[in-house]
Amino acid sequence: MAVGSAGQAIQTSTPSRKPRGEMSDTRFAFLIGLPVLVFLLLVVAYPLGYAIYMSLHQIVFFGGYRANFVGLKNFIDVWSDKSFINAIWITLRFTVESVVLTMILGLCLASLMNQRIRMAGLVRTLLFLPWCVSSYAAGLMFGQLVRGQTGILTTISFAFGGTQGVDLMGRATVVEVLAVANAWLMSPLVAFFLLANMKTIPKRLYDLAAIDRLTAWETFRYVTLPPLQFTLFVFASITTVLSMKMFDMILIMTGGGPGTASATLTYQIYKRSFKDLNLGYGAAMSFYLLFFILGATFLIYLVWGRRVSR
Amino acid sequence: MKRREFGLLAGTAGLALMSGAGRTLAQGVDLKPTSGETVYFRGWNFRTDVVQANVARYNQQMDGKVDYATVTGDYPALMEQNLMAGAQLDMFYANPSSACRYFDAGWVLPANELPNYAEIDAELYPNLKEAWTYKGQLLGLSYFASTRGTMVVNRKLFEEHGFTDADLPKNWDEVYDLIYRMKDKGIETPFLPHWFGEWFGISWGFVLEVINRGGTIADPETHQPTITTDEDGPYYKTLAAWKKLWQSGMIAQEVFTFNEGGYIDAFASGRYVMSPQQIYDIETFNRPGRSQIAGSCSLVPMGDHPWGIIDSGLYVMSNRERSEALTDDVKKFVSWYGFKDQDGKIAIAQNWMQENMLFSGYKSVMESAETAERIKKAIARPEDYEAILKVYQNTPFPKGIWSVVWSEEFNPFLKETLSSFLFDDGDIVETLESMTAKIEELNGKYGI
Repeated sequence: MAVGSAGQAIQTSTPSRKPRGEMSDTRFAFLIGLPVLVFLLLVVAYPLGYAIYMSLHQIVFFGGYRANFVGLKNFIDVWSDKSFINAIWITLRFTVESVVLTMILGLCLASLMNQRIRMAGLVRTLLFLPWCVSSYAAGLMFGQLVRGQTGILTTISFAFGGTQGVDLMGRATVVEVLAVANAWLMSPLVAFFLLANMKTIPKRLYDLAAIDRLTAWETFRYVTLPPLQFTLFVFASITTVLSMKMFDMILIMTGGGPGTASATLTYQIYKRSFKDLNLGYGAAMSFYLLFFILGATFLIYLVWGRRVSR
Repeated sequence: MKRREFGLLAGTAGLALMSGAGRTLAQGVDLKPTSGETVYFRGWNFRTDVVQANVARYNQQMDGKVDYATVTGDYPALMEQNLMAGAQLDMFYANPSSACRYFDAGWVLPANELPNYAEIDAELYPNLKEAWTYKGQLLGLSYFASTRGTMVVNRKLFEEHGFTDADLPKNWDEVYDLIYRMKDKGIETPFLPHWFGEWFGISWGFVLEVINRGGTIADPETHQPTITTDEDGPYYKTLAAWKKLWQSGMIAQEVFTFNEGGYIDAFASGRYVMSPQQIYDIETFNRPGRSQIAGSCSLVPMGDHPWGIIDSGLYVMSNRERSEALTDDVKKFVSWYGFKDQDGKIAIAQNWMQENMLFSGYKSVMESAETAERIKKAIARPEDYEAILKVYQNTPFPKGIWSVVWSEEFNPFLKETLSSFLFDDGDIVETLESMTAKIEELNGKYGI
């Protein structure tokens, strides 16, 4: 036995042999994990494998199904496609804005719910509702809310004597509108996890902060925020992945437009795969999206996660 | 029983039998389903209440088992995926351009296979029959046949600013001249262009204008590109007019994100004077309670060239694997729904005319007294009736790009290219050359 730095006893001796016939821990773990592995194999490995196959072929449906092997051509051609490059920037803009907004909104909502307020249960239920709305429905709703013809700002403008509608679906603002809608959808979940985390902060820390006469901002900055770092990191990663994958809301709300102003990578993949019916090219694009998602989450881990998960 | 009584009874029974059989054999075809299996009918989301009622009538009167549901979202793409996956699908809506593609993939049974094809053939208007025929096969039966791009005018706003019928344009060049004249007279939004965000929005707007100006985009037979870049040609002139209009600032960016409903609502709001619209939406624009310009919406009569292009929908039969008996039932249902019912009436098409003024491809529907009465009820002035018929009968069809397997691939390209052209102040010649290159690429892809 040795003693760890935290004063805990650490077992160092060789584990005693299992009695004959008894299953090893590894084997047991493998056995109970087997159904999950089989399930994953069916629902992930097969489509993934098929996607790899498609990305290396040119698939033709008309005039008889054909799959012509083209090697890495699809992966190379993607880089000379202007719409793909444009889609990368739009995806990046949408993702960064979505994640920042979601984190800020989630933190604000969690702080609000952490206060002693009347009808707290009702408030929590109401705040959680957006998470229950499908992204399809949210797309329809936000579309109506921000369009010049039907939008809330147009109503307000007309109520104050304006004669022009206010349209937020223009090229300059459409991605921001999408990011707001996305943050509206995702922030309740973030807020509830942050709230759970906030509830674990010892009350005496706040008492000490009061004795030290810390302002509200200083209390938030030095008492509340540090224990939330890990949760924030986890949700920054999750919302990054979800934002990069977002498709249905974008399709319903803007259809990638106006022009290609909101045509994210997911929209371009859909367009290439199912409108142009260029499945091989679309599959190659989707692998780039996968690499970008992995790259983005790894980057978040490197610059933030490594620090806070220690 | 006496001989006389027996004769009377037998005669009555015979008559009763004949009338029963006569009902289901009104077209010379027995329309009663026999397989006992379900026929799956899928369509886009338009007046689902009417469709549901039609299907219920078939199921009730013909002992049918038709399952109806809608496909919401990006219809052509979703339907293509359904067909590709061999989904349970027997009859569905399709535009002719999609139907060509499905036909080439072997997913469609042509209407020539229907037992009453000869009768259907005789009923169809020749221009529509040509539009719906691909490789010698009729792709489906008439759901609606309309003119998309009919130039409509809000007479209220038009006349308030001192314009008269003499000012109405006879061609697209005059349309643009009039727009700027109206602007000079203080009308903020004289024109609502066909630039909305649907798959049949801006791309069809370009196609219809070019075709009206005498272009073809691709050869109707060989499908080789025919786009020219000379400044007096229909292609260059169209894009030059668009660029000038966009740069004038008269068109709000929101037009690019309108769906079809938004586009109709925008014109019905009374803010615009002219717009290329669907011919049957004149009824919507003149409907009190629905439109701010009810009673004031007319169409611009045909002048030097027709307005718009044929926009039509078909009832198409799928070619999926199923029993022979079920295939027979599908044919019976398609025939009942898309042509004549057990009483020999083209009931569904006539009903669409009454409900939404959907024009039909069948002569006897369009030339009936009921139809004339219905159209007259929907128009602002009696003289508009003749104008509507003239526009409808002369509407062209862009066969070069719509009767070809790659049509649904060219269309999204066109949509994206045209939006970028306007937003990024694109070069006209380069844009036209990119269209030519795309057609060549697609021809290469499909070995055309």
